[in-house]
Amino acid sequence: MSLAKNNASKKRFDGTAYLYIAVVLLLVAVIVVFPIGYTVYISTTNMNLYHWYDFDFIGFSNYIRAFAQTNGEFLRSLGLTLLWTIANMVLIIFVSLVLAVLLNIKGFKGKNIYKTLLMFPWAVPSYVSILLWRIGIFNGEFGLFGDISRFFGGDSFFILQSYWGAFFASLMVNVWLSYPFTMSMMDGALQSIDQSLYEAAKLDGSGFWRTTFAISLPEIAPIVAPSLLMTAFMQFKQFDVVYLLTLQKGAQTGAGLQTIITYVHTTAFESNNYGLSSAISTIIFMLIALLFSRFAYREAKGRGK
Amino acid sequence: MRIGIKARKVAKNLSLHALFILICFVVLIPIIYALAISFSAKTNLTGGIFAVTDFTFDNYIHIFTELDFGTWFANSLILSLSTVLVTVIPSTFAAYAFASMKFRGKTAILMVLLILNAFPQVLTMTAIFALFRNAHLLNTRIGLILVYAGSNTIFAFFNLKGYFASLPSSIEEAARIDGANRPQTLFRIVLPLARPSIIVTSILVFINCWNEYLFASTFTTGEELYTLASGLYALQSNNLARNWPQFAAASLFVSLPVLVVFFSMQRFMVSGLTAGGVKE
Repeated sequence: MSLAKNNASKKRFDGTAYLYIAVVLLLVAVIVVFPIGYTVYISTTNMNLYHWYDFDFIGFSNYIRAFAQTNGEFLRSLGLTLLWTIANMVLIIFVSLVLAVLLNIKGFKGKNIYKTLLMFPWAVPSYVSILLWRIGIFNGEFGLFGDISRFFGGDSFFILQSYWGAFFASLMVNVWLSYPFTMSMMDGALQSIDQSLYEAAKLDGSGFWRTTFAISLPEIAPIVAPSLLMTAFMQFKQFDVVYLLTLQKGAQTGAGLQTIITYVHTTAFESNNYGLSSAISTIIFMLIALLFSRFAYREAKGRGK
Repeated sequence: MRIGIKARKVAKNLSLHALFILICFVVLIPIIYALAISFSAKTNLTGGIFAVTDFTFDNYIHIFTELDFGTWFANSLILSLSTVLVTVIPSTFAAYAFASMKFRGKTAILMVLLILNAFPQVLTMTAIFALFRNAHLLNTRIGLILVYAGSNTIFAFFNLKGYFASLPSSIEEAARIDGANRPQTLFRIVLPLARPSIIVTSILVFINCWNEYLFASTFTTGEELYTLASGLYALQSNNLARNWPQFAAASLFVSLPVLVVFFSMQRFMVSGLTAGGVKE
């Protein structure tokens, strides 16, 4: 077979490919796409605790309710999610960057042991560590915060009971959970920088700060940008931290802190208002699809080649 | 002069060590604290860490005598292994097709999968609950395996596809020229080369399922179907949470296998996740 013919045959479409992808497409269609479609359907009904089976079609009422009749809770949770994402990203980037730069100071021997220790928050199952934070650190009676407060003569201290207290506690835990991934991305990127750049800077007499801001940061920025985008999206859809710290069924702390995702869950599984909850889910789906379609199209075209 | 430079280097190293020991200590406080409490003989700690006076292994022994840890462990194992089989095998074939075959609709399908991958599964929990109730899949292992397959199939697919795409196409072309057909090329040439990435993907899917508590505790009510994650979750949400030393012991014990796996494949974690997209 000649090379030319081989190339020509590569250009042709191969119908057997559909056999290879059939099972994945079937799985995705049945357990991912169908529930999304069913969510959209529920959003147009009055399904709730009293109408589990005999629900009726009520059109767009749930959508109108989401905006007009939830005391602004839906819009407030949307605003909080935005603040949550930004605050987390600022702190995560700051903490990871400082740690990665410190780890990569020239001539620092034994950095691997610290790198491994700093990975623990990622390695421990996140639901376990969130619960350990809740009971061990934040609990006012027998947690560390309570101990410290009493040690200085104060009262038991329940940080998770106020709105902003719960926000800062959740922020703290979430940054703790998230920095190891970003830190190791930045660490890898810093090590990939061409060493001759640093040697040139040293000859020019540049010190640590100048080298960091003039070489390290500009060099790693394009490398870590895609994974930072991914990290930002993960903060947007973060559920476990706020839920496990303040909203667990039967153990709500009364902080009233709700991101958009926990709000959907509370509306469905605490208030049993499945129609309204599904309407908000649908709005979030449309938002994600809208924001992601450009990115997804570029990725798909690039990856499809 | 030379000694001066050396002394400065040693001083710099020492101060860096001191700084990182402090940082690591602060970061690990929740874990160190739980570890200390888990050896405490008191069951109801009101004095916190300052009340730990008697050292005991009882809390670890109680995990096995008072809780049904064996059953929880078996359930976690069955669910996680089944999900790995259900997701990784089909994903391997699909990833291969997307990496080295041309077909109509490829870009469109990829785009849809990318967008679907961004949808948080917890938003469809109501719908899945309602559908499962009608199909009598609540309180069954098959139901949970389906839920986990839903959140892990696309993840496994992108993870594997990234790796298949990085294999040089010349290897495959050489096999084709030698007269091997598609399936022969896949099974004899590509799969053996891709084995490391299949193993890493399987482990990542396994950990995802092993750590899942929300669907496991919402979709099953019987204690005989508890996994380690949903069992531990129930343990702290019931009044047993008052027994915080025992909860600390159970938490650390459950985390141990995950820690071992994580650190033995630490160098794959970053690359695996950037190829695959999102950590569940």
